[in-house]
Amino acid sequence: MSQPATQGEEVNQDPEKSLPSCSVLPDNTSIIRIDHLTKIFYEKNRSVTAVDDITLEVRRGEIFGLLGPNGAGKSTLIRVLTTLLRPTSGTACVDTYDIIRDPEKIRSIIGVCPQNSTLDVELTAYDNLEFYGKLVNVDDRTLDKRIWELLEMTELTDRAHMKVQTLSGGMRRKLEIVRAFIHHPLILFLDEPTIGLDPEARHEVWQQIAKLNEEKTTIILTTHYMDEAEKLCNRIAFVDKGRLIALDVLENLKQLIPAGDLIEIGFDTFDERLLPVLRQNTLINSVGVKEQKLIISAKNGSKLLPEIVAVFEKFSTPMSSISIRSPSLEDVFIHLTGKKLDDGTNHEAKPARGGRPL
Amino acid sequence: MIRGAVAIFKRDFKKFLSNPFVVIMTLMMPIMYLVIFGNAMGGTISHIPVGVVQEVPPYEDTPLFSQAAVALNHISQKDNPKLLDITVYTDETAAKQDLAKGLISAVVVFPSEISNDHAVRLYVDSSNSIIPSLVESAVRGVLAALGAHNPVAVNKIYGDIQYIQFFGVGVIMMAIFTSTMFGGGIALIKDREAGIHEGYLVTPVQRTSIIAGIISSGTVRAFIAGFTIFIIDIVITGITIQSFEDFLLVIVVILIACVGVTSLVVSFASRFSAQQEYASVVAFLNLVLFMTSGAFYPVIGMPEWLRWITVINPEYYGVDALRSIILRGQGLDVIGMDLVALLIFSGAMFILGIATYRRTLE
Repeated sequence: MSQPATQGEEVNQDPEKSLPSCSVLPDNTSIIRIDHLTKIFYEKNRSVTAVDDITLEVRRGEIFGLLGPNGAGKSTLIRVLTTLLRPTSGTACVDTYDIIRDPEKIRSIIGVCPQNSTLDVELTAYDNLEFYGKLVNVDDRTLDKRIWELLEMTELTDRAHMKVQTLSGGMRRKLEIVRAFIHHPLILFLDEPTIGLDPEARHEVWQQIAKLNEEKTTIILTTHYMDEAEKLCNRIAFVDKGRLIALDVLENLKQLIPAGDLIEIGFDTFDERLLPVLRQNTLINSVGVKEQKLIISAKNGSKLLPEIVAVFEKFSTPMSSISIRSPSLEDVFIHLTGKKLDDGTNHEAKPARGGRPL
Repeated sequence: MIRGAVAIFKRDFKKFLSNPFVVIMTLMMPIMYLVIFGNAMGGTISHIPVGVVQEVPPYEDTPLFSQAAVALNHISQKDNPKLLDITVYTDETAAKQDLAKGLISAVVVFPSEISNDHAVRLYVDSSNSIIPSLVESAVRGVLAALGAHNPVAVNKIYGDIQYIQFFGVGVIMMAIFTSTMFGGGIALIKDREAGIHEGYLVTPVQRTSIIAGIISSGTVRAFIAGFTIFIIDIVITGITIQSFEDFLLVIVVILIACVGVTSLVVSFASRFSAQQEYASVVAFLNLVLFMTSGAFYPVIGMPEWLRWITVINPEYYGVDALRSIILRGQGLDVIGMDLVALLIFSGAMFILGIATYRRTLE
């Protein structure tokens, strides 16, 4: 393990040390600075690289999205930043503190909602909040008021003194999220905050997150739901297999794939002769087949539609459905990795261009 | 039906084999029962410290006294070390003081001559089980061998103490230990198993706070158990507490013993991540510590190597201190050392618990 040295004598040999320390801020815009961070798990004679040389910055006050399929290393990255795991190599600064040298300082300025529930189900909702309030040093004089405030926010006031094990999954999740910011943290880490929630509950959680962000809390959110990232995040980082693939605001990410609309045409049987004919059309950027669907990327898709239908008719191929839409974040992700996002199995789906991107 | 049974069997057996620690512990338990239980309970008592003194006048040793002292000192059982370690006193008061302090287990006072009128007076520490009768039969045997017909007057200095009273005091320690098996530190392991420790590890709470909090809670639970058994002892076994001071002293001893035993189990809990492993280790510890605590059988009857365990066994000090107060009515002057030992032990275990507690998920 090549952890950055903490002994003074190794200062000169360790290139990591020559970097400016966390207390020296280059400017005031970034709140988290990750520098060539790698985390490798060793297990007997096997090793798994969960986070692979990630370098990025999170800006003060933004909602930052970490997007990637299951097993991409999102949670590991969050755990390293929240001092639960030590990095194998590389460094990271959270506010003005180094994750290796000052873990205690970091713990007092962050709020974390882990992916798996960490509520004590044998305690009541109120007791859970009280327990954490005390651990994160909320003033005893304001704690009770704060707890009721949070319970009201989650509409759990009438359930305050019921054991958590009697609450529904959605209620528990909301309780866990508000618990994470009981002490008004500077930075809030939410690891898959809406996993397993129904659409209504997700919506409520989103509203809460947006509201918190208005109160100047920086929020780092991991998710594998596209709509969640699109709706909430200022900037989005795509992570896959531990690597950072892209990082930008939503609009810029969408420009990574050819401009235009996506036309999807469903079919039962497909005639291969269709493809060369369609490709001859100069307005069409790309044509691909994916799971009983023909996917066409084209500028001004709605005007092109009659022409495409005509081609289908020419080869007497029946269509089962037609849809036209502008590209989503998911399309960008597929474009970049050749994979679907919430496809937990990580099988490679055929991207629109019929091959891996360059 | 068979398929289902085989599937269940395979699943369970795979889990069993995948945890070599528990496999080893399940084998260790019976082996240790054999070794510890066998030796602690069946061991031959030897080297009982006994003081001998001669009545004055005359101021010089009579033949009876010299011969008896030598004979007592040389009693030995087959293949075993000698039964008694004789110390010759010149002053009866000094001998009795040492007996009261627990330095010797009995005092034999010989009369000036062999006669039917002058009794050999035997003072025994009746708070020990077995030992008084061994000393008494040794003295009678020696007198008979010397042809002395003097009667033997046995004086139990702490009155008649039944085995249940002797044992009952030990059970107070057992109650403390069993309650820590389920209470002390198991919350830490449950949190780890359920993964909910991740929630509080990201808060600024310190390791010291976590361990101190768990030990405090475990101590209170253990105290309730120990105190309850103490009250039950009074009701069932008929032990009596002489004064209110003694009562308070018992409470203090139980409390300190609770801190010691709880710190010990918490120092284990701070490392383990599965209840099964913890339970097997703690059950094992319970066996070793309780067997060697002297609760069942006098420590003096244990083989030398086993007696070494008692030196670091908090239950031994707890049992010793409780017996001193409850059965012998002794005070702080006698049990002070026990309390100091318990406190040192607790401190060491507290530090060990903190040092081994993992503040990260690794």
